[in-house]
Amino acid sequence: MAKKYSMVINLAKCIGCQACTVACKFQNNVPDGQFRTKTPANGLKGTYPNVSMFFIKEACQMCQKAPCVSVCPTKASHYNEDGVVLIDVDKCVGCKYCLTACPYDARFLNKETGAADKCTFCYEARVSKGEKPACVSTCLGGALMFGDLNDPASDVSQFLAKHKGEVRKPEFGTHPNVYYIYEGVVK
Amino acid sequence: MDVTWGVSVNEIAWGGMIAIYLFLAGVAGGAFLTASLTDLFNKTKFTKVIRAGAYIAPIMIIIGLLLLVVDLGRPFTFWKLLLNVNFGSVMSIGVFIVSGFSALSVVYGYLVWSSAAAEKKIQITSGNTQVAAASTSKGIQAFRKPVAVLGVIFSIGTASYTGFLLSAITTNNFWHTPFLGIEAIPFLPILFLVSAISTGLAATLIGAYDCSDLTAYKKTDIVLLIIEIVLISILYLSVKPIYFTGSMTALFWLGVVTVGLMVPLLLSIYGVSKHKNLVVPVCGMVVIGGLCLRYFVVYTGQLFR
Repeated sequence: MAKKYSMVINLAKCIGCQACTVACKFQNNVPDGQFRTKTPANGLKGTYPNVSMFFIKEACQMCQKAPCVSVCPTKASHYNEDGVVLIDVDKCVGCKYCLTACPYDARFLNKETGAADKCTFCYEARVSKGEKPACVSTCLGGALMFGDLNDPASDVSQFLAKHKGEVRKPEFGTHPNVYYIYEGVVK
Repeated sequence: MDVTWGVSVNEIAWGGMIAIYLFLAGVAGGAFLTASLTDLFNKTKFTKVIRAGAYIAPIMIIIGLLLLVVDLGRPFTFWKLLLNVNFGSVMSIGVFIVSGFSALSVVYGYLVWSSAAAEKKIQITSGNTQVAAASTSKGIQAFRKPVAVLGVIFSIGTASYTGFLLSAITTNNFWHTPFLGIEAIPFLPILFLVSAISTGLAATLIGAYDCSDLTAYKKTDIVLLIIEIVLISILYLSVKPIYFTGSMTALFWLGVVTVGLMVPLLLSIYGVSKHKNLVVPVCGMVVIGGLCLRYFVVYTGQLFR
């Protein structure tokens, strides 16, 4: 059975340490000043001493109806057999149409290759070998979970069965495979 | 620091190069339409108009395509756009529309040029060679009409494609704006088509400014300007006011509305039959306004998301 790889981000457990940001840079050799994932502070609220804030991990949302894939003129952006959105660098001409289409600003033009670049769930280097993505493996707060949603026994399936997962910008109908758990944070 | 605390800024993926490309493709399409329709319906009276339009179209589209290729992240792989086709992608379809238009406009430009060159020859040579020159050029001139007709279709396709390219981005609330709220009809292709015909006609008239009687063209331009003003008003009312704020305020109100539409409309109504010397300033403003419109649409759609 085909897999449906998914990431679940439990925001209440994220301390904003940026270990995921750094792990991703090491794993994927992302050029200086560019990021496949980052975790900026968000939702600053209130007045001292009653203040709140949370960190939100941003990267490719691995949409099942990805605007980047449908607009790509060369089919460089595509879904692989496990539903992961990937870029075939060899086919990409760098037209940036996908950058304008992505509502999550997850894509950038790689300074070194000139091709569009983004998070791959570390598919080739790790996930296809049975490992978890670099950011998930390194996450020290335990905020990140990764697994196959088609497998009811996986971490992500189990967790989403008990907690309410939300996707970003659902109004665009992109059906992301990255779920955010807002329990315990002030949105 | 900025990774954690910086406010995420919307980066502009498509900048000035793309705006100018969309503008030039519009001018090329409009100039071709002006020339070919004149050629098909009223050949004898307006040879200068035909010539100006037929030369402007290939030059503009080629410059536009060069800008487009230079703007690619991997310019030397542009040919892969022709090999890897995605019919679900407006850009992929557009590659073939614009390529077809470019080829037709070059052929048409050559045909107009060669017949003009032949005419010139006739004027300066003796009676004997007149016949020879006329007969050799006659062979290829047979293609002029079919090329013009096919070119009309491709120029309309190219001009409206520049709008479809942006309106196909369903995740961009500005670019994806529907026409009068009708979800099936995107707004930008209509606006860009009208602007393309208007700017292309204007550019052609600049090239043929010393032509004897341009009244019909000037009247067409007035009609196009009025349609464009109506369309811009509809756009202004159907999207959020934020798109016309900040750095876009001056570009929209001064560039698009004042220089591009209102002043040329008033001046051309004033000088429709008299004041021949108004053609160049009026048409110049229309062309500049068309460029401002492309800049405005490309930028504001990305700045305010």
